[in-house]
Amino acid sequence: MLAHSLFFYFFSLIAIISAIMVTVSKNTVHSVFFLILDFISISSLFIMIGAEFLGMIMLIVYVGAVAVLFLFVVMMLNVAKQKNQWFSAKESSKHIPVGIIVSVIIFFELIIVISGWKYKPDLVTAMSLKINTDISNTHSIGYVLYTDYIHIFQLSGMILLVAMIGAIVLTFRHRTGVKKQSYFTQISRERSDSVELVDVENNKGVKSDD
Amino acid sequence: MEIFLLFLPLLASITSGFFGKYIGDRKSEIITSTFVSISAFLSLFLFYQVIVNHYESNVTIATWINSGTLNVNWSIKVDALSSVMLVVVTLISSLVHIYSIGYMSQDPDKPRFMAYLSLFTFAMLTLVTSDNFLQLFFGWEGVGLCSYFLIGFWFKKDTANAAAIKAFVVNRVGDFGFALGIFLIFYLFDTVNYSEVFQQIPQIIDKELLFLGINIKAIDLICILLFIGAMGKSAQIFLHTWLPDAMEGPTPVSALIHAATMVTAGVFLVVRCSPIFEYSPLTLNIITLVGMTTAFFAATVALVQTDIKKIIAYSTCSQLGYMFFAAGVGAYNVAMFHLFTHAFFKALLFLGSGSVIHSFKDEQDINQMGAVYKKLPYTWILMIIGTLALTGFPFLSGFYSKDAIIEFAYLRGNTAGYYAAGVGILTALLTSVYSWRLIFKTFHGTYNNQKLKIEEMHESPMVMLIPLIVLAIGAIFAGFLFKDLFIGHGGENKFWGDSIMFLNPLSTEHPPLWVILITPTLVCLSIPIAYYLFVKNKKIPIWLVDENKPLYNFLINKWYFDKIYNVVFIQSSKKIGLFFWKMIDVKVIDKFGPDGISSLIKNLSVKASNFQSGFIYQYAFMILIGFSALLTFLILQ
Amino acid sequence: MIDIGLSHYLTLGAIIFTIGIVGIFLNRKNIIVILMSIELLLLAVNINLVAFSIFLNDISGQIFTLFILTVAAAEAAIGLAIIVVYYRNSSTINVENIDSLKG
Repeated sequence: MLAHSLFFYFFSLIAIISAIMVTVSKNTVHSVFFLILDFISISSLFIMIGAEFLGMIMLIVYVGAVAVLFLFVVMMLNVAKQKNQWFSAKESSKHIPVGIIVSVIIFFELIIVISGWKYKPDLVTAMSLKINTDISNTHSIGYVLYTDYIHIFQLSGMILLVAMIGAIVLTFRHRTGVKKQSYFTQISRERSDSVELVDVENNKGVKSDD
Repeated sequence: MEIFLLFLPLLASITSGFFGKYIGDRKSEIITSTFVSISAFLSLFLFYQVIVNHYESNVTIATWINSGTLNVNWSIKVDALSSVMLVVVTLISSLVHIYSIGYMSQDPDKPRFMAYLSLFTFAMLTLVTSDNFLQLFFGWEGVGLCSYFLIGFWFKKDTANAAAIKAFVVNRVGDFGFALGIFLIFYLFDTVNYSEVFQQIPQIIDKELLFLGINIKAIDLICILLFIGAMGKSAQIFLHTWLPDAMEGPTPVSALIHAATMVTAGVFLVVRCSPIFEYSPLTLNIITLVGMTTAFFAATVALVQTDIKKIIAYSTCSQLGYMFFAAGVGAYNVAMFHLFTHAFFKALLFLGSGSVIHSFKDEQDINQMGAVYKKLPYTWILMIIGTLALTGFPFLSGFYSKDAIIEFAYLRGNTAGYYAAGVGILTALLTSVYSWRLIFKTFHGTYNNQKLKIEEMHESPMVMLIPLIVLAIGAIFAGFLFKDLFIGHGGENKFWGDSIMFLNPLSTEHPPLWVILITPTLVCLSIPIAYYLFVKNKKIPIWLVDENKPLYNFLINKWYFDKIYNVVFIQSSKKIGLFFWKMIDVKVIDKFGPDGISSLIKNLSVKASNFQSGFIYQYAFMILIGFSALLTFLILQ
Repeated sequence: MIDIGLSHYLTLGAIIFTIGIVGIFLNRKNIIVILMSIELLLLAVNINLVAFSIFLNDISGQIFTLFILTVAAAEAAIGLAIIVVYYRNSSTINVENIDSLKG
C-alpha cells in the first residue's frame, strides 16, 4: 500500500502546511486562499479513503459557498488595506510562548488519548480498509439518511433557513429613495382613479392641478 | 424613710445632670441642694433614733444576684456604724452643695457640677448602707468614678485630666486587692453578705492557704487584701500619690471627697469588717504600722508645701493615718470618732481655704498671700477655729479624738504601742507647726501678692460663709458632745452594739498623767514658735532650709515617691503600652485583620479584573486552559 | 509508517485541531482569521469522524459529518453577517479594538 501511504502523507502535509499558513499569513486574502487549499486537500483525502460523497459535498459546500463567502466579506471590508503585522504590536507578543505551550500541551494530550486507546484487534493493521464495494458511498448514505435520520435532516434544513433569515435581518438596511414597484397598487387601479372626462371650451386649455 | 434618704440625691443628680440645660443653672443648684439637705435631715433623724431607741433596720430594695449559692440584694442597712457615716456624708455633702452655689458662681457648667456632687453622694450612701460586700464594692467604684469626674471637672486643663486619671489608676491598684479579697471571701464562705460571713469567721481561724508560694493563714490573707483596697481609697502610704494631685479639682470637691467622705471609705471598710480584722493580729499590726508611717510622712511633707490646698491635703493624709492607726490598735470606735470630728474641721479648713482662694482670685500659693486678716475677718476666724480643732487644742473636738487615739495606743502596753504613741505625739507637733504656718503665712506678715492690690480684698458672700459657720459649730462642739457616745466610759459600749466587734474589750484604765498632758502642751507651745518662725523672723526658716538642703529636697519631692513610681512603673508601662500599640496592634492585628483583609481584597480584585479584558480570544484562551487542565486531570487518573 | 492506520488519521485530525486553536488566540489581526480558525476546527473534527466511520464500517459517522457541514456553513454565514454589521458601525475589525466587554 505504498501509493496509499504516499498519497496520505502528501495530502496531509499540504493540509497541515496550509492550516499553519491560514493563521500566519500577513495578507488576509492569502489566508482565505490557504483555507481553500486546506479544504481541497482534505476533500481529496476523503475521496481516497472511500467517502467520496462526503468529499464532493465538502468541495461544493465548503469551498464553493463558505470560502467564497469569506472572500466576499474580506474584499468588502477592505481588510487587506489594514495594517497587518504578524501578531500585530510588539507589546502583545508576550502571550505567544504561553499560547504555544498550552496548545502543545493540548496536542500531546490528544495523542496520549489516541495511543492509549484499545484498538479493536482487527484494526491494528490498517491494511484492510473495509470498504463495502457492493454499493456506492452515496447509495449507502442515502439508505440511512432519509429513513433513520429523517428528523435530524429536517432540522438541519430548519437551521439553514434560520441562518438565512438571521443573516438578512442582521445586515438589512432600509434605503431611502429607492424606486420600487408596488404590484398591488398597480393591479388594483380603477378607471375612476386614472381617467377623467373634462369639457373643454374653445381656445381655453385644461388646467391640471395635481 | 431610708429609701428617700438614699434616692433623693440620685434623683437630684439625674435631674440636674440630664435636664440641667433645660431648667437652668439656678434651679439645678436649688434642687440638688434641697434634696441633699432633706437627706441630711433624714439622716440626723435616723441618728437620733439609733442613739435613743437603738434603732436598727435592713431594708431590702431588690434582689441583685440569685445564682447558686450567691445571693446578693440591694439593701439599706441602718445600724450604729452606718448611721454615723450617713450623718457625716449627708451633712457635709449638703453644706458643700450650698457652698458651691457661691464658689462656682462664675463657672458655666454649674448643673454638671451639682449633678456630679449629688451622684457622688448617692454612691457614698450606697457604700455605707450596704449589707454585703458586693454592694460595698459597687459604691466603692461609684465614688471612685465620681472622684474622677469631679477632679477632672475642668477638663480643658491638661493637669486636671492627668490628675483625674492618676487618681483613678492608683485607686484601681487598691481595688484590685479589694476585689481579690472579696473573691477569697466568697471562695471560703460561699456568701458575701456581712452577717453570714461574720458568723462563719471563727470557724476558719486555723485554715491555711497557699498563696504565691507562701503558706498563709486565710484570715490574714483576707484582711491584707481588704486593707490594700482601703489603702488605695484612703491614700495611705505607697498608694497616696493621687491625693495631692487631686487638688486640681474645685475646692468644694476637695472638701467633700478628699476630706470627709471618699477617703474615709477605707476606714469605714476596716471598721465594718472588724469581726474579721479582730482575728488577724498580723494585719492589725500592719495597719498600725502603715497608719503611723503615713501620718508621719504626710506631716513632714506638709511642712514645706506652698500650695494652700496641698498643705490641707497632706494634712488629710496624715489624719487618715491616725484613723487607721487607731483601728490597728483595736480601738475602732475611736477611729470612727476621729473620722466624725475630722470631717467637720477638715471640711471647714478646705472650704475656708476656698474662700481665701476666691478672694485672691484663684491664687493658691501661700507665698503670694499675707496680712489680710483685717480684710477677711470671718474667714480668718473660721480658719483659726478649724486649725485649733485640727491640732488638738484643748477642749475643741480634735483634742478629744486625737488624744484618745494616742492614749489607746499607749494603753496597748507592748513596745509597738509605745512606739506608735511616740510617733503619734511627734506627728501632732508637726501637724500643729504646719497648720499654724499656713495661717500665719496666709493671714499675717506682709502682703506679698503681685497681681492684686490689698484694697481689692473683700470677704466672700454669705452663701459661702454660712456652711463654714455650721461646720465651725460642729468643729467646736462635736468632740465634747459625742465623746461619751462614741468612746464610752469605762468599757461600756452600748452605742455601737453589734456593728463593731471587740475581741478583747478595750482597756478602761487611764494612762499616766504625763501622757495625757504632753500633747496639748506641745500644741499650745507650738503656736508662738510658729508665729516667731513665720512672721517675726523669717530668716530662720530660710537658714534652716539652706543648712539642710538634702533634707529639704527630700521633703519637697514628697520623699521621692512620685519619682520612684515614675521610673519603676510609669515609664515601663508606657513603653510596654507603646510597644503593644505600635507593634502588635498596628502591625500584627490590623495587618491580618481589617486593614490586611481589605487591602488584600482590593489587590486581588484589581488583579482579577484583568481577566475581563473584553477580548474574546482571551476568553477562548481561558476556556482552552480549563479544557487542557481537565484533560490532564482525566488522563492522570 | 508505511501502513496507514486509524491512528494516523486521528493524529492528522489532532494536528489540525491544535493549529485551529492556536489560530484563535494567537491571532491579533482581525476577526475573519478567527472565523477561519473555527472552520479549521470543524474540519479536524470531520476528519476524525470520517476516519472512524470508515474504519469501523459504520455509516453514521459520515451522516454526522454531513450535519456538521451544514451547521458550519450556517454559522459562518451568521458570523460574517455580524462582522459586516460591526464593520459598518466601527469601520475596523481589528481584534484589539473589540474590547467593549472590558470590566
